[in-house]
Amino acid sequence: MDMDTGEGRAMKRVSVDIGGTFTDCFVAWGGRYVQAKALTTHHNLAAGFNEALALAVAELGITTRELLGSVDSVRYSTTLGTNALIERKGPRIGLIVTAGFDSVVPLSRGRGYGDGLSYQAQHDIPRAQRPEPLVPIPLIRPLRERVGYDGSVLLALDEEDVRRQLRELVDQGAETLVVLLANSVVNPEHELRVREIFQAEYPGWFLGAVPMLLSHQVAGRKGEYGRAMSTIVDGFLHQAMYHGLGSLELSLRDNGYRLPMLINHNSGGMAQLNSTDALQTVHSGPVAGIAASEHIALGSDIGHVIATDMGGTSFDIGIVTADGERHYDFNPIIDRWLVSIPMVHLVTLGAGGGSIAAWDALLQLVKIGPESAGSDPGPACYGRGGRMPTVTDADLQLGYLDPANYAQGRIRLHARRAERALLDTLAAPLGLDAVGIAKVIRETVDHQMADGIATELRARGYSPAEFTLLAYGGNGPLHCCGIANALGITRVLAPPFSSVFSALGAGNVNQLHIHEKSTYTVLFHTGRRQMLTDYTQLNATIAELKQRGIDDLVRQGIAADAVRHRVEFDMRYGNQRAETAVTCDLERFDSLHDALALIAAFHRRYGERFGAGSQATEAGVRINTIRVSSFVDVGKVRFGDITPPAARLHAEPFGMRDCHFAGHAGPLPTRLYDERALAPGSFIAGPAIITTAATTYLVEPGWRFHAAAHGAAWFTRDGATEA
Amino acid sequence: MAHDAIDTGGAELSAEERRLLEAFMADNRLFYGPDPAIMRNHSLAPRTAAEAAVLDAGLDANRINLVRGRLSSALEETFTMIEQTGVAPGAKWGDLVSSIFTAAGDLSQIGPRGIVGFATVSHYPVQFIAKYWIDDPTVGVRDGDAFIHNDSRYGNIHNTDQSMIMPVFDGSELVCWVATTIHEGECGAIEPGGMPSIAETKFDEGLKMCPFKCAENFQLKRDLVNFLQNSVRDPKLQLFDMKVKLHASIRLRERVLAVIREFGRDYLIATLRKTLEDTEAEVRRRIAEMPDGTCRIDTFIDSSLREHILGKWPLTITVKGEKMIWDLRGACPELTNRSINTTLASLKTSLVSNLLVYVWPDLPPNQGVFSPIDVLTDRNSLLDCSDDAPNAMSLIPLFRALSTPSVLLAKFLYCMPKRYTAIAASHYNQPATFVYGGLTQHHEITGNFCADINGNGSGAREDNDGEHGLSPTFGAYCDTGEYELAEEELPYLRIVAQKLTTDRTGFGKHRGGMGYEQIVTVKNSEAFGFMTGQCGGKFPSAVGLFGGYGCPAYPLAKIKDINIFEVMKTEPDKVRHGIADYMNEPSIAGGRYVMQDAALNFEVCSEGEIYMICQGSGGGYGDVLEREPWRVRRDIEEKLLTRDCAEKVYHLRFDPQSGNVDEAATAAARDAERAARRARGMPFDEFCAKWVKDGPDSALPYLGSWGDNHGPVVAQPPGGARTVMPADAVAGIVISNPRERRIAELEAENAALKARLAAS
Repeated sequence: MDMDTGEGRAMKRVSVDIGGTFTDCFVAWGGRYVQAKALTTHHNLAAGFNEALALAVAELGITTRELLGSVDSVRYSTTLGTNALIERKGPRIGLIVTAGFDSVVPLSRGRGYGDGLSYQAQHDIPRAQRPEPLVPIPLIRPLRERVGYDGSVLLALDEEDVRRQLRELVDQGAETLVVLLANSVVNPEHELRVREIFQAEYPGWFLGAVPMLLSHQVAGRKGEYGRAMSTIVDGFLHQAMYHGLGSLELSLRDNGYRLPMLINHNSGGMAQLNSTDALQTVHSGPVAGIAASEHIALGSDIGHVIATDMGGTSFDIGIVTADGERHYDFNPIIDRWLVSIPMVHLVTLGAGGGSIAAWDALLQLVKIGPESAGSDPGPACYGRGGRMPTVTDADLQLGYLDPANYAQGRIRLHARRAERALLDTLAAPLGLDAVGIAKVIRETVDHQMADGIATELRARGYSPAEFTLLAYGGNGPLHCCGIANALGITRVLAPPFSSVFSALGAGNVNQLHIHEKSTYTVLFHTGRRQMLTDYTQLNATIAELKQRGIDDLVRQGIAADAVRHRVEFDMRYGNQRAETAVTCDLERFDSLHDALALIAAFHRRYGERFGAGSQATEAGVRINTIRVSSFVDVGKVRFGDITPPAARLHAEPFGMRDCHFAGHAGPLPTRLYDERALAPGSFIAGPAIITTAATTYLVEPGWRFHAAAHGAAWFTRDGATEA
Repeated sequence: MAHDAIDTGGAELSAEERRLLEAFMADNRLFYGPDPAIMRNHSLAPRTAAEAAVLDAGLDANRINLVRGRLSSALEETFTMIEQTGVAPGAKWGDLVSSIFTAAGDLSQIGPRGIVGFATVSHYPVQFIAKYWIDDPTVGVRDGDAFIHNDSRYGNIHNTDQSMIMPVFDGSELVCWVATTIHEGECGAIEPGGMPSIAETKFDEGLKMCPFKCAENFQLKRDLVNFLQNSVRDPKLQLFDMKVKLHASIRLRERVLAVIREFGRDYLIATLRKTLEDTEAEVRRRIAEMPDGTCRIDTFIDSSLREHILGKWPLTITVKGEKMIWDLRGACPELTNRSINTTLASLKTSLVSNLLVYVWPDLPPNQGVFSPIDVLTDRNSLLDCSDDAPNAMSLIPLFRALSTPSVLLAKFLYCMPKRYTAIAASHYNQPATFVYGGLTQHHEITGNFCADINGNGSGAREDNDGEHGLSPTFGAYCDTGEYELAEEELPYLRIVAQKLTTDRTGFGKHRGGMGYEQIVTVKNSEAFGFMTGQCGGKFPSAVGLFGGYGCPAYPLAKIKDINIFEVMKTEPDKVRHGIADYMNEPSIAGGRYVMQDAALNFEVCSEGEIYMICQGSGGGYGDVLEREPWRVRRDIEEKLLTRDCAEKVYHLRFDPQSGNVDEAATAAARDAERAARRARGMPFDEFCAKWVKDGPDSALPYLGSWGDNHGPVVAQPPGGARTVMPADAVAGIVISNPRERRIAELEAENAALKARLAAS
């Protein structure tokens, strides 16, 4: 596929997303884009990657060595860390904590049993069960020391106690050590001293040397449990990531690549391997998908975007807003663990093609998910033993899927089995035929996903109707019109290269590091009627965080003057818990005007989010965290224009099929198209079905389809304006 | 006299005269107190004409489902809003709810998160507003109005919870209500933090907001807000969280109106009503599938928070067909000048919470859950107190209600083929947390409680041990928070933040989840102090199941007249990190080591003095002799159990050489213990003859029925004489001031000493 911008012609880049099933590869090669897929080879990631690369270079007509010798970078996002965590493949971790904080990790703030679980599971207290711990209780050692909230040393570090605890942990077979001392983010003196003692007692050149991680160096904010888990998860994943990615880098070297390999982070940025914490790679694949959405949104001028990835078992949601604000989770849950690093906001709902439809006798309704038939046995129509009706069975029953050509013909669908499952499970309570049941399932799941999106957007102060829905993943374009209808959204974009979308995103992020630090800075003390006028400490913290970002990037060969910064403040009224990050142009404070400007920015953002008049400056204003994102802009893969072309070209259907739609009593004749026969500008009015190599586009009645460049496709509701 | 009763002086009135008199009385009402017609009724209101019309119209059930999804999304959105913006610790750690009600005021739906107890108590003030203020020309209910409420006599779990209630109109028709509630804490009571243990009258309890209008045109009335701020210690909290609740309610109202625009008013009304009716029908079905029978339990409250008592808390559950009766008669009489009484409505809220948390967690939390269940109580008892009795620490009887019924219901459910959740012993059931108040290091006045209340150990289960410090007994997925953040805001330091206990659990085949120690001191404040509202210092509060032990008793310990920070500098070896370590080796010079009842009335803590309490364990399940040795060994490795305790309680035997479990010796020891049990046993009649007494020992501060729960109620309050009240005429009792009793004791000692001196 050719690309059309000047900058694009020079771009040569490889980006890869190593997922649980497939390794996706996206190559920009001086004016051409190539995408390739291979099965992920878990025993040796390089094998799957090389296979995907081989497919790509074959299409380009060059050799792998030629490709890797010419590209400006090779970039990875990977679920390696996620998998290692789920499979509990990691070292035996010993944890040293401040005495008196012995049980902070095992107790996991009380609610740790439910972190990462559904609401239903969270509510089931008699069945509550914490996950198998990453650090067993006997490997947790209390240390006699104490630092106060303000950094003052209250109980001096007992160095003999340090040696004793270290010795016992090493004797117990700890393979990685984590140190979590109270308030170390304010005063790290004791944590640093523990490491000094450890290095003196167990030098790194000893055979079987044990790595030690200090909590304040992994997470910069107060909150001992979140910081502990950040450090523990980091330590747990370190070896798997080091070996997995290290072998990839060696493989690249063997094939002529001479530059540092770049790793995508869950912060939405990337860094060299040697500047990457293992924790930062978790979920970097889906986050790269959001990065791709951001890249497309900003490049296409389509305003706010809600990025949705609907696959077989889950539905991922990410938010990209036109104001450029990054939406983060500051205490994300990774697998079953709450951590305290900034991660691009990503929500997963339990709804996908494999989600099972069941009768809820209590409320007399059809319930979709969270149980899923997965890929094995899969939906009933797969004919692999699944007996429960799923969303895919409903889609088949309604006529949207071609039984002979599903998944490029790899999976043959059995319409009779789908119908049987629908009727056996739901005919009696609903009193409907199979088509009626399928319509109910379809409408329910679309509304369920719409409600999930609405909750996310509205809790952040946005109205769904202002958004463009970006739909990718195997089932995204099949359900996008229904979801958009329920949300009042009038425009949907199926993005280009959607089958390797995360790989595409991996190629379009900046080198970026985020540093943050807890603070207790009262801008306005309401009791004393006092404004902050001495900004020395505030400026010093900002400068310190900027310098750490610069150091990170300079270490990776970036010139210090190329580094840019974005400063954010987590601000509160009174003692509230609002996690509103306020981005401000200010990088230092010189006068009362600056302080008032920040308060005004907070007031504005808070009002947008929680409603005008909800602000309470009179309760006092405080900064709780200062966060500096340091980054360097690197060249992006440019697509040129993917907006709907002015032309509305006629497209010729290859057939016609009766399909059923909610709100229409009988079947509607629906035109069938093959994406390969379409060109940019092809225009189709719904109802219509367009089959592509990776998915099926369903254009519902009342919607129009317009093909754009690079395989992008627009769905627009009748009466709405195109992009 | 009943709320709406009219005294005719015995005169027979004609129908016309009665109408005239009623009209006159209605026009000349002194005060709109708590209305028994509302407060004593937990059944669903009858279908309104509008509800009947839309339900009879046969609306599409699947569209009703879509409406329910929209409302759920809106409720979750507003829950998140409050959680993120609220100032009260309760708001930060999940003690809140957003909810939607029918036009008649029945609560139909709360969000996917939130405290389920609120789902069954929030409707009372809504019904009060609907009944009294809609047609009152000086009040009225209009679009944009909001009403605030906290007084539990008008419906609430307790007075620290404040609700903001807002009507939703479709045109001129009031179609439903929305509300948001937060456990606010501080409310201007005699002690800081909102739950005063020394309140002797309801006027010591602080804010007593019966439902009143505090906002018009979607704006708070600043004069009223100012009045409320003036009445509490933390005016910032009061102002800010009123804003939070108002704006969350406004947001919820907007979402409801969007539902009406999308689906129509009929669908909204139908959804709200149908949710309630479907839930009620399901509960009846589940009751019907249980075997018929009766089970009972008597448990005791061991403290009034000011003195030891032995106050009876009885429960008998009878299932017959689709009827279930919960009989709590025979309980401790109302303590007219102590704060641990509860209103009937609050009691019911806790009872239904137990159902929703421990028995049927899959049910949608709404008012329909409890509607089919009958509750019997004695008026003027601790569990159904009069409106004049203080109830600020109603948590004491309520926490029993939150944890006990499921233990009885387990006996009905054990044989059932379908499990809605696991069968479990009692969750730990005391608010084992520090309530605090005073001046912070940031020069702000505050009063509230620590989030450790959310760390109760869970009860052992039929298939596993309980989980340590898991959740409060009143809800799920709450949060004990981060101590670094708490220390940053408050002038205290955790010497022990969280440390699991050793040997302190409900033993059994499966043991209860453990509690953890909390040791705290004050730093950087000259005026800061603590209180607790914990019982169970003498009589274990969480009960075991099927042979499992109850939880241990947990007293409070403190070291006064020291400054631990000086000790840290000068004698760091004397700094300890465990309650037993401090109390068993009282090594700090000049320290006054005190072990006392778990309850602590508010007292100022000087910098460096130490206060120690323990979060508790759930009850055990099954016979200790059936505990698998690997579980015992694991507990020992995790320092949750000593070998000594393993030998004494579990009758485990260890190989003296290797330290491993000696399986053969263990089996023999257990067989021997079984034989010893049989030897200790006796026929039931013989047991009764030996143990059953005519009345309580005169030394016991016993309060409640003796023997038959429907028989006379005995009251032997501390410092008072024994009285016996007929079961149908229970009256509140007054307990003398413990300080007065102490003075009297000292005076008596003084007189005796003087007499001895004079005699010598």
